[in-house]
Amino acid sequence: MVYEQEEVLPGAVHGHRLSTVVPSSVTGEVDYALSDADLAFKLHYLRGVYYYPPGDVTRGITTKVIKDPMFPWLDDYFPVAGRVRRDAADVAAAGEGHPPRPYIKCNDCGVRIVEAKCDRDMAEWLRDEAPGRLSQLCYDKVLGPELFFSPLLYVQITNFKCGGLALGFSWAHLIGDVASAATCFNKWAQILSGKKPEPTVLTPENMPGHSPASATAPRSVKQVGPIEDHWIVPAGRDMACYSFHVTEPTLKKLQQQAAVATGTFELVAALMWQTVAKIRGGVETVTVVKNDAAARSGRALANEMKVGYAEASGSSPAKADVAELAALLAKGVVDETAAVAAFPGDVLVYGGAHLTLVDMEQVDVYGLEIRGQRPVHVEYGMDGVGEEGAVLVQPDADGRGRTVTAVLPRDEIESLRAALQDA
Amino acid sequence: MALCHLPLPRWSAQCRLRSMTATKGPLAPPTCADNSPPCPDVSLNPPILSRPQDHTLAYLPSEPLSLSLPRTHSLHSATRLGSTRLAARSSMASPGAQQLKQLKPLYQHVVNNFVAVLAAPVAVAAAITAARVGPDELLARLHALRAAHVFLAVFVPAAAATLYLMLRPRSVYLVDYACFRTKPNCRVPFSTFLEHAKLVTFVEGASIDERSVRFMTRLLERSGLGEETCLPPAHHYIPPYRNMEASRAEVELVIFSAIDDLLAKTGISPAAIDILVVNCSLFAPIPSFTDMIIHRYGMRRDVRNVHLSGMGCSAGLISVGLARNLLQVAPRGAHALVVSTETITPNYYVGKERAMLLPNCLFRMGGAALLLSTSRAKARFRLARVVRTLTGAQDSAYRCVFQEEDGEGHRGINLSKDLMTIAGDALKANITAIGPLVLPASEQLLFAMSFIARRVFGGGKFKPYLPDFRTAFEHFCIHAGGRAVIDELQRSLGLSDQDVEASRMALHRFGNTSSSSVWYELAYIEAKGRMRRGDRVWMIGFGSGFKCNSAAWECIAPPRNAEGPWEDSICRYPVDIPEVLKH
Repeated sequence: MVYEQEEVLPGAVHGHRLSTVVPSSVTGEVDYALSDADLAFKLHYLRGVYYYPPGDVTRGITTKVIKDPMFPWLDDYFPVAGRVRRDAADVAAAGEGHPPRPYIKCNDCGVRIVEAKCDRDMAEWLRDEAPGRLSQLCYDKVLGPELFFSPLLYVQITNFKCGGLALGFSWAHLIGDVASAATCFNKWAQILSGKKPEPTVLTPENMPGHSPASATAPRSVKQVGPIEDHWIVPAGRDMACYSFHVTEPTLKKLQQQAAVATGTFELVAALMWQTVAKIRGGVETVTVVKNDAAARSGRALANEMKVGYAEASGSSPAKADVAELAALLAKGVVDETAAVAAFPGDVLVYGGAHLTLVDMEQVDVYGLEIRGQRPVHVEYGMDGVGEEGAVLVQPDADGRGRTVTAVLPRDEIESLRAALQDA
Repeated sequence: MALCHLPLPRWSAQCRLRSMTATKGPLAPPTCADNSPPCPDVSLNPPILSRPQDHTLAYLPSEPLSLSLPRTHSLHSATRLGSTRLAARSSMASPGAQQLKQLKPLYQHVVNNFVAVLAAPVAVAAAITAARVGPDELLARLHALRAAHVFLAVFVPAAAATLYLMLRPRSVYLVDYACFRTKPNCRVPFSTFLEHAKLVTFVEGASIDERSVRFMTRLLERSGLGEETCLPPAHHYIPPYRNMEASRAEVELVIFSAIDDLLAKTGISPAAIDILVVNCSLFAPIPSFTDMIIHRYGMRRDVRNVHLSGMGCSAGLISVGLARNLLQVAPRGAHALVVSTETITPNYYVGKERAMLLPNCLFRMGGAALLLSTSRAKARFRLARVVRTLTGAQDSAYRCVFQEEDGEGHRGINLSKDLMTIAGDALKANITAIGPLVLPASEQLLFAMSFIARRVFGGGKFKPYLPDFRTAFEHFCIHAGGRAVIDELQRSLGLSDQDVEASRMALHRFGNTSSSSVWYELAYIEAKGRMRRGDRVWMIGFGSGFKCNSAAWECIAPPRNAEGPWEDSICRYPVDIPEVLKH
């Protein structure tokens, strides 16, 4: 039921209908404290889309089927259903003149569900590879200007004309990194299938207090702000997410060019670094955000990505060898995770100081099976990325190639497409 | 008591409060607040937070009656005294009044069994006289009597008794009842409700503004509702669906699940239903709810069906009264299905009038289905009385709860400011009507004496006597119209916190479910294991009009199992409901 008279552009996603899903039992008076690492990422929003092909199974996936398991799911993940509040009792912050420290009040307010339609076929939609298609399938709201009423997670259910289904998750990076988010969504799918998922662990880490922080921001990130209650820093230029596929033969070729065995992420990221350097000129340093599964604490919601930077000394990356850059990314990354977390000001991690390369190799995005139906394609982009842009390297459907999402200014995307077609 | 051996309610994911100090692993199953099994002793529940003090009704006694006494239920005595006032440790009474209080049980015993008290010495005297006269003399006197006189002396009373037994109205019994069990996927916490209220915007440009949201926040915090009340699925959308399709979906969800539960509990087939009465005030589609039920369950062609709409929140008891009247003229052993519900979906108010925002905050989804019959087989309650009072002849009562359009054209229900006063007056009228029918002779005599004394000696010297309804009833189910209504009634009737606990807890757990709230309260009392054979229940309903309706029930059999709407949550109740709930 369309309640507003919007003009429907042909092929656009329309008919948005919002509703809310809450935890099935009462949480009580519980607050979820946000760690310093969480607050460092507060200006970013993950946008992930899972595509399910048309068929009998997908036709049986109605909104009710999607919503019903969410109630018990939010019992386990109750901070996701909460809302951001500011700690009025934060005297230290008041003394320094900036707004009090945010935390999450677990008041069971819930997660927003958006139902929408698209009059195109999903196969056609995927084939088009239009930049900006991610923003149509994920509800693009952010936290603020009213933090009290801003959900931390939106789930958009888009039904295509052919019967295909797209699930778009808009997740505030504040409550967890992409590994936490993917695990969280997979748990929902497990509940849908009737399996009992593993228990979630939600204790916050011990707050180290206010460790001594430097006056200037670490090199990996860019200081912005001060941010009041609208947690988005509009980039000066129009950013868009563009996803494309890196095929297995390309990867094999890159591997052969490298002298030593290098990880796939390093190779693909180095390729992208070089391409962007060629388009833009002079991308000497990059920020690298890696996900190290072994080093994770086991907490269900955490921001535990490793943030660092790598500097191409000497030759310009545009002219350097991909293998050289890959080796640099593998060995030469200066880790600044602790410094980023300890820095008291507001920062942009992705695309703030430099082009950011994000490693999502170990994130199990294709594990989100609905009634045994695996997604045919998954892409993760990001909102709130700074002008320098970001590149997310993710696994693809069969696991042998890679899906890459580049979040770049729109004019650079055209050049990127052209450059990739040549390569 | 058989009830204490009922199986424990299944631990479900709903019945836990999460704690941030939990480290790894799943949370342990909950223990009830007092670590006791879910059938706590009636008398040990602590009193609930006391209500604010403001006395507005003039006919109240000035001394508060004793609160939270341990109630010893004397099953042996024929008179059912209820609370033993002897144990009153009320330090406010003077020694003279103390002595009077001690004499009271004796007085009640004497007056309530007046006939026995009179007959006993007479019988003793007759026996002594007969013994003195001697058996031979007695026989001689008997032979001397004329046969016709003897025959008449035997025949006339026997005929009178037979006529009385034949012509008195048939008793109506409640075979069983089932309430709609709310699902967690309809749950609406306070924060969600307020967020939705804030985000609702319509094409016409009308929206609920900041002031209204703040007002609703204050209302919700003080309303006595909990965080588990439920709204229909259509209201979880922004903006909520209010069309007929969504309304019918809610009706089907509520009514059909309640009726399914009832049919399973009673084992009766839909074809055996002879009478069908449904009440739903605010939604009257064509075909009616009764036709919906007949269609769905395949009932017979000669079912007598009636749909009552527009009768307000007390319509549940009106339906019971109507079903009773129909049963008394139906063939023996007929069955009547009564369904009480209220449809929330079409009635979301989107304007800014404060008096009309209150129903949005209080009304929640709920429904109940009951099976009444004139046959006593398998029955659980006997319907003793139904008393209906209407005060609609007065303007203020008529306009008290009024459905109308506000200045901007949005339809809603306007609650006037003097709702409490009118409710009090209506209650007074109802008490006056039902008092003589249910109160034992002792209370009625006291009331009559106090009435005469006030008339003769002037109103100032004697306070009006408030009859103690706890001598007439063991349990009270007061319509959970809102916290203020329950407080008001508690004060007016002189009830203890424990007496109104069922109402307060039903309001907290289910919100104001309109006409079915009295059934949720009865379900609470039974889930707590407090219902025993012979207990009497008083159900009081209030509604627009302004109406006050009462029904008096007597328990024949307690429930056989723990199934019901409180199954998953009873172990968490009673809860302490704060004055202001910070959300």
